[in-house]
Order: sequence, then C-alpha cells, then structure tokens
Amino acid sequence: MLVQQVILLPPSQGEGRCAPCADTVAPEGSLCTDLTWPSLDFMIERSAMSTTVGVRQQRRSGIALFKWTLLTPLFVLLLFLLPVFLLQLYFSVHAWTVYLTNWWEADFVGFETFRAVLTDPRFFWSFLRSFAFAGLSTLGCFLIGFGLALLMYRPFKGHGFFYACFILPMLTVPIVIAYTFEMLLYQKGPLNGILSMLLGTDINIMWLTNPTIAAFTVIGLEIWNWTPFAFILLLAGLAALPHELVEAAQSLGASRWRIFWEIQLPLLRPVIFLVLILRFLEAIGEFAKTWALLQGGPGSATETMPLYLYLTTWQFFRVSKGAAMSYTVMVVMVAVVLVAIRVLRREKHALDRMYHRAGEQP
Amino acid sequence: MRRQTKRKLYAVFRFTMLGLWFLIVAFPMYWIIATSFKPAHEWFAWPPVYWSRTPTLENYRIVWTGQASSSTTRETASLQKPWIALGNSLVISLTATTLSVAFGTLLAYGVSRYRLLSEARMFNLLMFRMIPPIVVAIPLTLYYSTLHLLDTVVGLVIVYTITTLPYAVWMTKSFVDEVPREMEQAAEILGASRWRTVWEVIFPLVRSGVLATFLFILILTWSEYLMALILSKTDVVTLPIQLSKFEGTTEGRVYGRQAALAVGITFPLIIVGCLIRKHLVRGFSFGMVKR
Repeated sequence: MLVQQVILLPPSQGEGRCAPCADTVAPEGSLCTDLTWPSLDFMIERSAMSTTVGVRQQRRSGIALFKWTLLTPLFVLLLFLLPVFLLQLYFSVHAWTVYLTNWWEADFVGFETFRAVLTDPRFFWSFLRSFAFAGLSTLGCFLIGFGLALLMYRPFKGHGFFYACFILPMLTVPIVIAYTFEMLLYQKGPLNGILSMLLGTDINIMWLTNPTIAAFTVIGLEIWNWTPFAFILLLAGLAALPHELVEAAQSLGASRWRIFWEIQLPLLRPVIFLVLILRFLEAIGEFAKTWALLQGGPGSATETMPLYLYLTTWQFFRVSKGAAMSYTVMVVMVAVVLVAIRVLRREKHALDRMYHRAGEQP
Repeated sequence: MRRQTKRKLYAVFRFTMLGLWFLIVAFPMYWIIATSFKPAHEWFAWPPVYWSRTPTLENYRIVWTGQASSSTTRETASLQKPWIALGNSLVISLTATTLSVAFGTLLAYGVSRYRLLSEARMFNLLMFRMIPPIVVAIPLTLYYSTLHLLDTVVGLVIVYTITTLPYAVWMTKSFVDEVPREMEQAAEILGASRWRTVWEVIFPLVRSGVLATFLFILILTWSEYLMALILSKTDVVTLPIQLSKFEGTTEGRVYGRQAALAVGITFPLIIVGCLIRKHLVRGFSFGMVKR
C-alpha cells in the first residue's frame, strides 16, 4: 500500500532544513521553530529550476485537466437542469392547458398570467400561511431543541440513551409521520383517550377538523419532526465551546444566568443562526406531511404555498398559472436565500476568525 | 450541603423534562408499532386499545405479499406490487446516493485541495437545498415528459442526485479537510499520479467518512416524497408513494396495514441513522460546528 510507504518514509531530506528559508541548512542546535518536511512548493521550485520549461507547462496543463475532470459531473448536472428554468419562463408567459398536445403550441399571453397570480388572494394567503407556518415551527424547534441541549450538554448517566431516542423523529419518513399522527389524532383516537384518562373528563379536541386547531396541529407535526435537528446542532455547539471561558467566569463569581447570557449565547451565535435559517427555509418548502395529513383542509386552513401550487397544477390542471406562480415564488425565495447565505457566510467567517485567534494563543 | 441538594434538585428537574420529551417522541413510535400488530376490530376501538390482546402478523403478511384473504377489491388494488415498490426504492435511492456521494467526494477533494469552487460558490451550492423543490416541479414534469423520463427510474435518480449533491459535497469536504496535505505531497514526491493519489492515499483515509455520508444521503433519498409523487405515475412507485396509495384508495381506514408498511419503511432508516449518529451533526452543519 502506498499509504504505508508514505508513512514509513524517513524524513531524511528535510531534516535540519526549515521551510521558509529552505536553501540554508540550519546549523546544529539553532532555534528554527518550523522544522517540517520540505514543502511541496519547495520541491516543485527545485524541480522546475533544474528541468526545462516544457515540463513545467505539462504539469500545469495536467492540473487543469484534473480540475476540469473533477468539475465535469457538476457541470453536466447543471446543464441538464438549465432547460427547466427556461421552460418555466416559457410556460409562465404562455397560456397552456392539458388539452394542447404539444407544449410549443401554446399562445403567448405575456404577463397576463403573472397579473392573475399577483391579484389572486388565495395565493397571497397561502404564501403568508407558509411564512407563519415556517416561523412558528422554527421557533418551536429552536426553543425545545435549545432547552434539551442545555439540559444535556454536560455528561450524565443515560446521556447516550436519551440522545439516541431524541434523534428518532428526524430519521422517520415524513409521510409515515403524517399517517402515524392521523392515527393518533382522530377524534376518538388515542391522544384524546389519554387526555380524557388523565383529566378524568371526556376530551374531544378536533385536532384535524377544526380549522384553527388543525393549523396548529400541522405546526406541531413539523416541530415534532425537526426538533432533533435543532437539538443535535445546538448540543454539538454547546459541547464545543471552550471550557476555559466558562470556568474563568465562574471563578470570577458570575452567576449561571449571566454566564449563559454573556458567554455561551454570544459564542453560540453562528450555530443558532444556522439552525434558524436552515429550519425556516426547509419549513417553507414543507409538503409531504401537510399534504398527506390534511391536503390543505379543513377549508383552506393548512393550505400553505407548496400545497396551493400543487393543487393549482395537479388538481385544477392550470399549468400556466402554476408555472407563473412558482416563478414568482422562486424570485422571492432566491432573494430570501441570498440574504440567508450572506448571513451564514458572515457567521462562518466570524467563527473561523474566532478559532483562528484561539489557535494562535499558546 | 445546600449545594448538594441543589444539584439533586437539578438532576430531578432534568430527568423530568427529558422524560417528558421522551414520552412525546416515543409514544407515536410505540403506537405505530402496536397498531401494526392489531387485528382490524381494534383499529378504531373506543376506548383505544393501547396493547393488543390478540396480536397478529396478518397486517405484515398482507402488506408484503400483496394478497388479502377477505378484503375488498379497492384494498387489493392498492396492495399491488409491494416488492416492486421496495425494489424501486432500493434501486433509486442506492443509485442516486452512490452517484451523489461519488460526485460529491471528487468535488470536495477539488475544493479542499485545488480551490475548485470559491467559498462563495460553495455556499451558493446550498441553494439547491434551500429553494423549495416545488417551485421547479412544474417545468421539471414537462421537461421530463418531453425527454420521456417521466415515470422512470433514471428520472428520479437524476433529481435525487442533484438535490442531495450539496450535502454530499459539504459533508465529504469536512472529512477531506482533516487529511493532512503532507500525505499528498509525500505521494507526489514518490511519483504517484494525481488519480492514484486520490484513490490510494486519500480515499482509504476518508473511507469511513464517505460511508457516513453515503448513509446520511441514503436517509434523505429513501424518504423523499414530493418528487416521487410528481414524477411517477404507475410504473415506478417508491415505498413512500406506495404507503400514500393506501390513503387514496381506501380513504385511510386500514390503519393496521398502513402501520405495518410504515414500520417496514422506517425501520431501516432508524438502524442507519443510529449507526451514523455521531456524524449527523457534520452532515447538517456545513462546517459551522467546530469540534
């Protein structure tokens, strides 16, 4: 095996030679802190100096070829996907119905469909509902996940058991979650049964048929499904915080509350942003559970944006309207996502700087 | 003394809260397993049957053999081809995951060592994941119908490969970053070609990481629902779609059968997830959690 050869190779050529001042052999016993192997750049430079320009060029074109080979799959996939976006634009400015056999026979209508979409109150409400759904479920996931993480970030007996149990909802197939909760939540179902038993009276909450309650039921499902996500990330974040800071604050007499607000929370900011942003964006696109459980009903209480898009296109067969609608949504979402990515990058840089600085100190 | 009581109180508080959440998590899980062993008359009983007194394997038999002894024609219609659905799910998710992880690993290596994609582009790659997939569903359907990819295995494999690629790249990159560069430098000095370096030096070192990524992405592709719903009709039915067909054809009133199928779909994922539970954070955190 090549790996073993590499590991067993004695670093004889590099001994006594430091990388920054590679040409001079360090005198015996001198203080050269950077005693490393000869760097690759140094080797290349050496070989380049001793060989002709042709070899150097060959090497460079070799790297280019290698890089392009690595990139090819991504390019092929992107190229394959490109017509999708063009088609989307085409359909949103043409009136196409399923009665036309070929899609290129549709009539050009310009921005008529877009106007219909933008003045459609149902679309507006579904969009708003999606944002409310995403906001509330994100908040729920975050608060519960953070609470659990705070309870669990210091080791205790049973830690492994609780951790393994708490990640289970995230591993469950969304559609299975929907059907499981349908079995649990129907009016004469086990959840009402347990509540009746505990409270001693006959409880008949209409989890799935009362519009207001149903909306919150769907949010609850999302929270149940994705709290593990917030939990594992925040737990890992908390566990990775440097102990020294907390210990220093403790020895200075800071209360636990103050340590949490002034040390742990600020240091956790990147992870918190990551959890909130990812959860929010994925919740906006949530389709499987809401659709399988309620199909947008009762009435239109749970008709979020993805559901309304699906209904328009696959139930009402208004393909052009659906395309214009998804184009509108895409524009809005791309704007939102670009902002989100900016925030994530900023946080990542802050984090990298922080750890870089910490690494510098002995 | 006071400190000790305080600590004890906290332990009790912690145990209570964790136990409460444990019940919330575990009860639905328990219920679906319990329901899968219940005979038909216990599905809707009031008060609910928490533990079946006459457990039966009938549900599993019907769901996985596709033969019902005394059921309606509507139910048998939805019970067709359970093994075909399983086969489809396996083929699609395994192929898509393999492709995604293979491409992802190569890209991640390029990014880590040759700055193939700038940091900004790496983040923009996340767009595939962050934009709701429904917005491309309509043009994708029409595009696929033009290419005759609708209702085929290949079509779904392509979509899944694209949608999981960002996770694959980010996750494998975190593993490749941990391999010291000196490895390649040494290999190059010894005269290994670039591909040989990737295959014989880097890959053996990140193998366990690649396997973790593979399992992680397998979870995502196995449970995908929306694209499978939109891009398949009759021929290519994955397990989640098969499960939802029960709902459609029988008005959701065959809880025992649904539960039996649901347990079958979820069980492998839970095993896989518990195997890679240490790596889940890495898959989701995009390098934002240092360790």
